[in-house]
Formats: sequence, structure tokens, C-alpha cells
Amino acid sequence: MYAGHFAAALALKARLPRAPTWGLLAGVAVLDLLFGVFVLLGIERVTPTPGVPPGFILDFIDWSHSLAAALFWALLYALCFARLGVAVAYVMGVSVFSHFLLDWPMHPRDLALWPGSTGHVGLGLWRALPVGWWFVELAFVAAGCAYYAVRARRDGSFGGRWQWACAVVLALHVFNSPWLSSRS
Amino acid sequence: MSSTGIALFVFLGFALPIPLLAWLDRPRGHR
Repeated sequence: MYAGHFAAALALKARLPRAPTWGLLAGVAVLDLLFGVFVLLGIERVTPTPGVPPGFILDFIDWSHSLAAALFWALLYALCFARLGVAVAYVMGVSVFSHFLLDWPMHPRDLALWPGSTGHVGLGLWRALPVGWWFVELAFVAAGCAYYAVRARRDGSFGGRWQWACAVVLALHVFNSPWLSSRS
Repeated sequence: MSSTGIALFVFLGFALPIPLLAWLDRPRGHR
């Protein structure tokens, strides 16, 4: 999942408007930011598969994307925001762990339970539905953005340009579509 | 695309929208 993660951040912002927006957006991205760094450092491995959706095989992503790692990074991230109160710290942790929850339906069984575990999870919609996964994620993007838009219009303390924020998230999803992205 | 390219693509794909979306979320009239 890609744009769906940002839709989740907007929905969490709508749920707790006093949570810093940048923190939520970075929170939902943490696992993939770590993935990028870990691959560059040789700690995690990915194999390109041109022409075969989703364009790569995630050989080893246990330190960024396993269940235990996601919980660890979520807890660590939440602690970074502890000074802002329990509620904000909690929603920050949720933003990080939401990444694992949203990746689970899309990923093939490459999400380990813990680093080095032989047990892996993942519903595999990327492979089972080579085009349909995009519409599944679109439904989530639409739901998250709709919730954000409704709350932003009522609240007024955030989402000053909610139409554009939702348009950007939708544009990211279109960019990541099977028709426009070789990576899918 | 190499594995390094995929890593950079994913990293930048998640990092770059963050400041834009945070800016769009600011309340109207906020400087």
C-alpha cells in the first residue's frame, strides 16, 4: 500500500486534531523510510522483477516490516511524542503500526512475525488481484479522505486546504496505479 | 530498476509528500 498510508494519516489527524500533522505523516511512512535506509545499508534485501507485479520481491524486510519490528518502531515513535501527552503519543504509535495493518492485505506472505521468523503473513492482494488491489486501496483512500474532509470542515483547526490534501493523496494513488507505474 | 533504485524510490516516495501534505493541512490564515 502507498497512498492509503497517507489517507490513514489524514484520518488520524481528523480523529485527534491536536496531534502534529507532520508527525502523523512521518509516522505512517516510518517503516518504508527505514526500509529504504536498510536496503541501502544492506540490512534488508529486495530483488527487482521487471514486468512481474508488483515489480519486486521483498526477500528480507524483517527489521522494518515484521510484526514485532512494527510494534517496536511504533512504541519508540510514540515515546518521542510523550511530552505532548498520552493521547498524542498513542495516536503517533498507531500511525506507525497502521502501516503494518494496511500492508497485510496487500503483501504476499513476506511480512515476518519477528526478525528471522519463519512465520510470515500477508493476504497477497498485489498478486491475487493484479489490477483489483488498486480499487481496494482506492476505497480505503476515499474513506480516509472523506472522514478527514468532513471533520476538517466542522473543526476548522486543521485541513485549511483539505480539498488539495485529498487531491494530492488521490494523485499519489493514481501515480501508483498498475497503468502508470511499472512498479505497481 | 536496481535494488538501490527501488530503495531510493520508496524512500523518496514516502518522504517527499510529507511537507506538502502538512502544509496543505494548516488552518486557513495560518502563516
